[in-house]
Amino acid sequence: MAAAATTPEILSSLMTRIASGEREALRQLYQATSSKLFGVCLRILSDREESEDVLQDVFVTIWRRADRFDVTRASVMTWLSTIARNRSIDRLRARGPLAYAGQIDGLEIPDGADSAETLLSAADDRNKLQGCLSELDDRTQKVIRTAFFEGVTYETLARNMDAPLGTVKSWIRRGLAKLKGCLQS
Amino acid sequence: MSEAPDLSDVEAFAAEHALGVLDARERAEAETRMAKEPAFAAEVEAWRHRLSPMLDAIEPVPAPQGVWTRIEAMLPANDNSAVMNKLRFWRNSAVGGFALAAASLAGVVVQVTQPPPVAAQPPVAAPSQLLNASLTATTGQPQPLFVAAYDPDRKALIITSLLPPGADRDKVNQLWLIAGQDKPKSLGLIEPGKAKIIALPLEVMAKMSAGAKLAVSIEPEGGSKDPNGPSGPVIGLGELSRL
Repeated sequence: MAAAATTPEILSSLMTRIASGEREALRQLYQATSSKLFGVCLRILSDREESEDVLQDVFVTIWRRADRFDVTRASVMTWLSTIARNRSIDRLRARGPLAYAGQIDGLEIPDGADSAETLLSAADDRNKLQGCLSELDDRTQKVIRTAFFEGVTYETLARNMDAPLGTVKSWIRRGLAKLKGCLQS
Repeated sequence: MSEAPDLSDVEAFAAEHALGVLDARERAEAETRMAKEPAFAAEVEAWRHRLSPMLDAIEPVPAPQGVWTRIEAMLPANDNSAVMNKLRFWRNSAVGGFALAAASLAGVVVQVTQPPPVAAQPPVAAPSQLLNASLTATTGQPQPLFVAAYDPDRKALIITSLLPPGADRDKVNQLWLIAGQDKPKSLGLIEPGKAKIIALPLEVMAKMSAGAKLAVSIEPEGGSKDPNGPSGPVIGLGELSRL
């Protein structure tokens, strides 16, 4: 869609217009960001129909809550993607414990490696995070990615990895601390 | 990167919430804390921001036709007319729908505490405290209309307007500092919906202290013609306080 011409400034001003109740601004935001957000929903849910429902829900949420968007925040896109991710994870959780547990069998995370897209992209943030994640040991990296994309709790992670809860907790906490240190360096 | 310091308990909790590993009860606790504690909310936001590049790597997929139509059908009815918005806005400075979450203030603080882009720091003989203010509507509900943060290191005041941009093109919003018994001092014009960094001369910095007030008035183009202060109505008022 029309994502090419969309700058962070345009997105910010759309958010402000949406907060004041302008439907046209929401439509423009949809045009600019729905493909990206649909991609996020699909990645987490792997189901088109559910992803459509969530996408719908995401935009209705944006409409209702645009006034809570912090105009000084760096990125509208981060805010939107986070809503899409959180809503998708909620949906995943609502599928029930069985479907949920099945999701993380084997902890297979397909897009961990540098895809062509990642390499081509000029997004420094992404490359930096990618680089920092890859400095973590494989297990920690996988746990963090799984948690992020599937919203699995410590408990589920521990059960699926057959490791004590406290151990999984400390992997993740230490991994996050390292990640932060690496991102700041 | 082996010897990264451990995260504090608070930060670890914020990071875990952003990552999504907390169970339902802990998630609820984290959400409550975010609503109550701007610093905690800012911490969660910072972690979301750190982790969000993982989402950037996801390939966009065009959403099927028809989703937008369904969204539109679900939106609550609203007046779609710019004229109505304008009237509603200027008639009633309560400005429906612009309630500012405390988190916004935290956002401002985060922005302000980042190191200044220029390294050279001449010594400054002025108060060295970070201050902030929330300028709330003077009539109707006391909703925040502007948030301000004063950063002595940057020698600047950062003000963010929470009003819709382009609300009234014939009028401007003018920012005033009211310190002690002095007459109001203009700090410049603020565009609706924008954040602005206002560089402050030393003599103004000397007056930026807790208890001093910031006000915004509506003025004709070019600002107040009255040399002694605002000529139009004051719509927002707030007091500077320590962080």
